[in-house]
Amino acid sequence: MYVAVKGGERAIDNAHALLAERRRGNRDVAELTVEQIRNQLPLAVDRVMTEGSVYDPELAALALKQASGDAVEAIFLLRAYRTTLPRFGYSEPLNTETMQIERRISGTFKDLPGGQTLGATYDYTHRLLDFALLAEGETPPSLETDSAPLEPCPRVLELLNSEGLIEQSPKNDERPRDITREPVDYPAERAVRLQNLVRGDEGFLLSLSYASMRGYGDSHPFAGEIRSGQVTVELVPEELGFPVVIGEIVLTECEMVNQFHGSKTEPPQFTRGYGVSFGYNERKAMTVALMERALRADELGEAVNFPTQDQEFVLSHTDCVSANGFVSHLKLPHYVDFQSELEMIRRLRREAGKQENNAPASAVEEKTV
Amino acid sequence: MTSLQTLSSQASSLKTVDASLLIAGFENPVAQCQQAFRQLLSATSEPGTLQTMVATDAQPAGLNTASWSLALSLFDADCTVWLSPVLAAQPALVSNLLFHCQTRLVEHADEADFALCNADELDTLQPFSFGSAEYPATSTSLILQVPALSDECSLSAGSGWTLTGPGIKFSRHLCVAGLQDSLQQELIHSRNRFPCGIDCFFTCDHTLVALPRSTQLSIDQPIDQPTDQHSAQES
Amino acid sequence: MSTPQMTQVEGYNFAYLDEQTKRMIRRAILKAVAIPGYQVPFGGREMPLPHGWGTGGMQVTASVIGTDDRLKVIDQGADDTTNAVSIRRFFAKTAGVETTEKTADATLIQTRHRVPERPLQNGQILIYQVPVPEPLRFIEARDSETRKMHALREYGAMQVKLYEDVARFGHIATSYDYPVMVNGRYMMTPSPIPKFDNPKLNGMPALQLFGAGFEKRIYAVPPYTEVQSLDFDDYPFEVQQWEESCAICGSDHSFLDEVITDDAGSRMFVCSDTDYCRERAQSNREQAQENEQ
Repeated sequence: MYVAVKGGERAIDNAHALLAERRRGNRDVAELTVEQIRNQLPLAVDRVMTEGSVYDPELAALALKQASGDAVEAIFLLRAYRTTLPRFGYSEPLNTETMQIERRISGTFKDLPGGQTLGATYDYTHRLLDFALLAEGETPPSLETDSAPLEPCPRVLELLNSEGLIEQSPKNDERPRDITREPVDYPAERAVRLQNLVRGDEGFLLSLSYASMRGYGDSHPFAGEIRSGQVTVELVPEELGFPVVIGEIVLTECEMVNQFHGSKTEPPQFTRGYGVSFGYNERKAMTVALMERALRADELGEAVNFPTQDQEFVLSHTDCVSANGFVSHLKLPHYVDFQSELEMIRRLRREAGKQENNAPASAVEEKTV
Repeated sequence: MTSLQTLSSQASSLKTVDASLLIAGFENPVAQCQQAFRQLLSATSEPGTLQTMVATDAQPAGLNTASWSLALSLFDADCTVWLSPVLAAQPALVSNLLFHCQTRLVEHADEADFALCNADELDTLQPFSFGSAEYPATSTSLILQVPALSDECSLSAGSGWTLTGPGIKFSRHLCVAGLQDSLQQELIHSRNRFPCGIDCFFTCDHTLVALPRSTQLSIDQPIDQPTDQHSAQES
Repeated sequence: MSTPQMTQVEGYNFAYLDEQTKRMIRRAILKAVAIPGYQVPFGGREMPLPHGWGTGGMQVTASVIGTDDRLKVIDQGADDTTNAVSIRRFFAKTAGVETTEKTADATLIQTRHRVPERPLQNGQILIYQVPVPEPLRFIEARDSETRKMHALREYGAMQVKLYEDVARFGHIATSYDYPVMVNGRYMMTPSPIPKFDNPKLNGMPALQLFGAGFEKRIYAVPPYTEVQSLDFDDYPFEVQQWEESCAICGSDHSFLDEVITDDAGSRMFVCSDTDYCRERAQSNREQAQENEQ
């Protein structure tokens, strides 16, 4: 006699044990430490912190270790941990003009006050596999450069501001809505859009930015400035009433300059797109800036012709944790829904069979939820 | 009615905690908040049923046990509360709400997620938010402290209603004492504005009864009463 | 079968969520109950399970559950499917509550894709996991638009969609996630339950709560509330029927799963509701023993 499939509990336990074993890999090879991941895979750590919305390199490194290096899984781990943390307060807005700059470049001006600094970048490396690393040779210590810390310097786009050539950055003292505490409602205000983009999946935003630059959008930007470095975080405790420094974090910031053709009331001027990320995640900061600008099409009175300019389309699909969850839920059993469809299709075919000349009715709308 | 607007400014002058007025909240907040919520959930899903709320040893002056229990379980820093003039003038109540719930007190009733009020102070629902057709859930929930509550309609000076609608199999009787006539009329007529509306919690001593906007009200004719009856009187 | 009381997991609050989050969800649930069928937006949190795997239902359960509750979790009607096991364990671990597989013994039932066959009682709470809470989503993708359609009670597009099926197939071809009207006001998706289960929603004595995690919506149907499946006068709503009976308990009136038993494609049908099937099979055995004596 048939017995319904049982043993879900044991199957799950076994799966967890196998997973732990596979994660550890060959036990003849030394186990990777969280400290090694944190120090030697810093860009992976930066991505996990940015999309995980927690600035904590150690936890991000732990998440990467636990996730066997799968960034999306690691981001999920960090997010789930974040949910349980109590909220003590909100920091003051960061002042990136006072950033301890480690890298600063501009695509719009050859030279500018404060200068350009290449810093550590993969940009001009020739992408040749370095077999010295395969041999596990130590990298030679870095060259001594004129390594005096760079002075804080004004943002490049402010230079255009003095001529009135670029729009004013909209000032808004309203407390921004926190998208991790409140549901998003469309159309969404700028603070919500930016939060959503910064937490958004890097690959998705990169491809959308690419599409918008290729013509599926109206993006013809210049990289006004990209800067990376340390910024201090300040908090105003209620009982003190003045700001105190609670720590320093590394940020990468990008401001894009876009053309705006002007309107009846406004002469032509440049517009901005802003992006930021934790750590040295420059690709992310750039794609956020590109998409931020693309999503302003509506407010600037530009035609919204492409998905890249459509708030609800872009913002509802950026989140890798949601996207991954919903796609992967197809792995869950759907016997009941499928059985319902089977019954329906069989019935339709039976009836179609009765009417000889009819083609079989095989097209029932497909929908899996 | 004028008193509502003019006197509400008193609330702002009282938005500080006076430590000498503080009393204990729930002894076991996690479990008791959950129990109180389940009672509120039963009350809302079966309008007109009387709930005896989880109690604390004492309540701040001005609040009855049921209102205090509701406040401890639902209010916090993420929601706004409006106090009626009489309640806003109770320093112990204000101090304890701020201390235990960290709730944000607001001066304008239409900005409030919750409004706390005594029945004899309220003759209209107009000051509160009814929500909008697209966002009906942004409405104000009203907690009205009344002198007596019963599901049998024999209270003197009480409004007797027959309730029908979601959560009610056939019909239920509810009698709320101390409601002003104009408020009663507005409550009945506000049903036409569904899905916009005000969800009410009537409280008396330990007892709470919910009257969500989905419940239809008709004024009772003196007819046979249901068998399952309870009542509460202000102690 | 109930598992013994387990201790709560260290370092996390009772039922995982922090109290402030629970209060936010509780306030949303009360609003949802007061406006039957309306989807209340709430500040959905990240859960330690993937979106689409029941995080909405879990957040509702975590906000409702107390130490006195007995929890049953089913997926596709079964207590023993891996995801049901995983969610039941989560609450046994984080809330230390008693769990059960018996529908009659449960105070809370979290479900994915089925309503139990045994009629639920007043006082029980049925919590549905909902992937897509918007019944109009596959007609209109934009939330900003569907919100207006609900506000204006503008549901003609759904009637048109169903009628297109009638024109094409001679039937309404929607077989699960079949839209309903709640209390004559809001169109609601009952979640992807088979339409076989739709009639059970109407006038159910138990409270029904629906949680959609990544769409951040909670909605509810209070007890004894009218829930009508959409249909047409000339094409009335009808549910699935099987020519077969359950191979285990012989039921000819429950929702059946089709099981393929060999390479030649032989198949048999068994109840999808495992508790109902077990109960019936047991009572059949007892009946048989009595008859022998």
